[in-house]
Amino acid sequence: MTTAGAVPEMDRFETKGWPTRVVRSIARVLRLGTISLTSPISQTQKEKDMNVQSPLTADNGVNVDALLGARQAITDMPAAGQFTWRATCEWQTGVQSRSIVEGFFGLGEEQERGAAFMIDADHPAQFAAGNAGATPLEIALSALASCLTAGVASVAQNRGIQLHKVTAHVEGDMDLAGVLGADADVRNGFSDIRVTFDIDADASEADIAALVAQSQKRSAVFDVITNPTNVSVSVA
Amino acid sequence: MTYATTVIIGAGQAGLAMSYELTTRGIDHVILERGLIANSWRKDRWDSLRLLTPNWQSRLPGGGYTGKDPHGFSGKGELVSRLAGYANTHRLPVKTGIEVRSVTPGPHGYRVHTQIGPFDCRNVVVASGACARPSIPALSLGLPHDLPTFTTFDYKRPSDLPEGGVLVVGGSASGLQLARELQSSGRQVILSAGEHVRVPRRYRGRDVAWWMDASGVMDVGYRDVDDLSRVRRTPSLQLAAGESTLDLNMIQSQGVQVVGRLSAVRDGEALFSGALRNHCDLADLKQTRLLDRFDAWADAQGLAGELPWPDRPAPTELPPVPRLSLKLSSGEIASVLWATGYRPDHGFLDLPVFDRRGQLVHDGGIVTGAPGLYAMGLPFMRRRKSTLVDGAAADAHDLANHMYAQLSCAAAA
Repeated sequence: MTTAGAVPEMDRFETKGWPTRVVRSIARVLRLGTISLTSPISQTQKEKDMNVQSPLTADNGVNVDALLGARQAITDMPAAGQFTWRATCEWQTGVQSRSIVEGFFGLGEEQERGAAFMIDADHPAQFAAGNAGATPLEIALSALASCLTAGVASVAQNRGIQLHKVTAHVEGDMDLAGVLGADADVRNGFSDIRVTFDIDADASEADIAALVAQSQKRSAVFDVITNPTNVSVSVA
Repeated sequence: MTYATTVIIGAGQAGLAMSYELTTRGIDHVILERGLIANSWRKDRWDSLRLLTPNWQSRLPGGGYTGKDPHGFSGKGELVSRLAGYANTHRLPVKTGIEVRSVTPGPHGYRVHTQIGPFDCRNVVVASGACARPSIPALSLGLPHDLPTFTTFDYKRPSDLPEGGVLVVGGSASGLQLARELQSSGRQVILSAGEHVRVPRRYRGRDVAWWMDASGVMDVGYRDVDDLSRVRRTPSLQLAAGESTLDLNMIQSQGVQVVGRLSAVRDGEALFSGALRNHCDLADLKQTRLLDRFDAWADAQGLAGELPWPDRPAPTELPPVPRLSLKLSSGEIASVLWATGYRPDHGFLDLPVFDRRGQLVHDGGIVTGAPGLYAMGLPFMRRRKSTLVDGAAADAHDLANHMYAQLSCAAAA
C-alpha cells in the first residue's frame, strides 16, 4: 500500500473557467492530510449553547475551515459537487481478488491522486479458501467504521473537542443459510450491524454521544448501508 | 385600477398583524384574501386539530387572549373566530374572496393581478402562509396506483380512510397526532419516522411553550444561528394540544408500529431506513440539550426553588429489530397518509426572487432584489417563532418599521 502523493495543481482547475474563489475553496479539500492546521478553530454558537468545555485550539488534524468552504462553494456551484468514485477489481485465484482505487471524477473533471491503493479480498481457511485478505463483508464493515470515525474527527474538530483516542468495534451478524441458498427466507446480507465507539476526548459523555450521533447523520457509508441504493451490474 | 401603498396577500395571523402595524404607522393598505379570514385554518386542516400553543400565547399586536381559558388549547373554530374578531375590532381593511393570480412589476413598484382587476402598489407583503401546500416526496409516485393516498390537506377524519391498516409517513406533530387518531379508530398504524424533534409537553410542572417563551428560545434571531438553512428545514416539534406528551414512546404504547424513514418504493415494497435508532438518538440528545438549557435558565433566574425537580423523559424505546420493509399489496395496509410537511406556495410571484430550488430568497422577510417586497410567517424568518401565531407580532413590527423608513426616505428624496 502506498501513501497519497501530490495533489492537483490549482491552475488546472482555473482553466475550466470557474470563479477562482470557488475552485480554491473546493480544491483545499483535496489537500486534506497534507495541510498542517495552525489556525485556531473558533467556537461556534452551537458549542457555546452546549457549554462544551474544550480548548479553542483543538487539533485533530482535520481542516474544518476547508470543509466548510467547500460546502459553501458547492452551494454556489452545485455541479462541482458531483463526484464519481471507482474501483477496479481483478480476480486472482479461487475466491481471491484485488481491487485498485486510483482516480475519481469530481470538481468538474477527472482527478488523479498520484498514487494507487490496493485492497485484497479473500475468504478464510474455514471456507476452504486462501485466506489472503479480509472478506468483502469485513471490508464493508471496515468502510462503515472508517467513515464514522472520519465523521467523529471532523465533527469534534468543528466543535473544538480534542480527541486522544478513538476506536470503533464493528460487528455484523449474518446467517450463512442466505448466501448458500439453504433457506430462501434468509437474506444474504447482515441481519444486524453494531458499532461500538471507545472515545478518549476532552469532552463530556453527552458531547461524545452527540459526536457519534452526528457522525452517523453525515456518513456516506452509513447511508449506503441503511438505505437502499440502485445497483446495476452489466457485462461490458 | 386600484392603488394602495401596500397590498398584503393573505388574511391569516401574519397578514392581520402586519395590517395592524401598518395602520398604526398610517400606511394605507389593503389585505387581499382568497377565501375568508383565516382560510387555511378553516379549510385545509383536519377536524380534530387544535393549536399546539396555549391560548395565552396567541398574542397579536394590540390584542392578546382575553378569554376564560388562557392555559387551554384552541380548536380551529375558536382561532378562526378570534382572528375574525381581531380584524373587526381594529377595522383592518380585509377584502375577502379575492384571488391573487400574479404579482408583476408595475408603474409604482408592483401590480397585483386578481380576478376583479389589478391593484397597483409600492409594497407587497406575502402572508399566504408557510403551510400552503403539502410537501410530498417524489418516491410517492412509485406507490401502486390502486392504493388510496391522503395528505394532511385532504384528510379530515378517520372515516375518510378505508378500513384496514394505514402507513402514516412523517414523524412530526401532524404525523404523530394523526397516527394516534387513526390507531384509536381501530386501524393498525405503521408510522415511518425520519429525523424528528422530541419535547415533553410539560416539564417541571410547566408547559413546554412557557419554557420556550420565558427562556428566550422562541426569540432566537435568524442572525444568531450557525446554519440558517438547516434550522429553517428543521421539522416541527412532536407536540399535541393538552397535558400529555406525544412522542414515539407514547404512540408505541398505543400499539402503533414505528419504522424508519421511507427511503424507497421498489418492486411493490416500501423500504424503510435502518437509521431509525440514530434518528431517535439524535432526538433524545437534542431534547436533553433543550431541557439542560431550561434548567440552566431557571437556575440563573433563581426559579429552581419554585419548580419541582427535573423529571427527565425516558429515552426513545424501539423494537429490537425494527422492520425494514412492507409489501404494499399484502393487505397489511389499505391506505397511505403523507404527513411529510408543508411548503409555501409563492408561484404567483412573477418576479426573479427565487433560488434554484424555487425558494424565496429573503433576508429576514425582506425579499432580496425586490425593493418593497416582504414576506411573513416563513420558517425561522426573523426568529424561531416566526411561523407561530405568537411570532407574527414581532416580525410585523420589524418589517413595518423597515417599510416606514423606506417610504420616508423616498418621500424625503
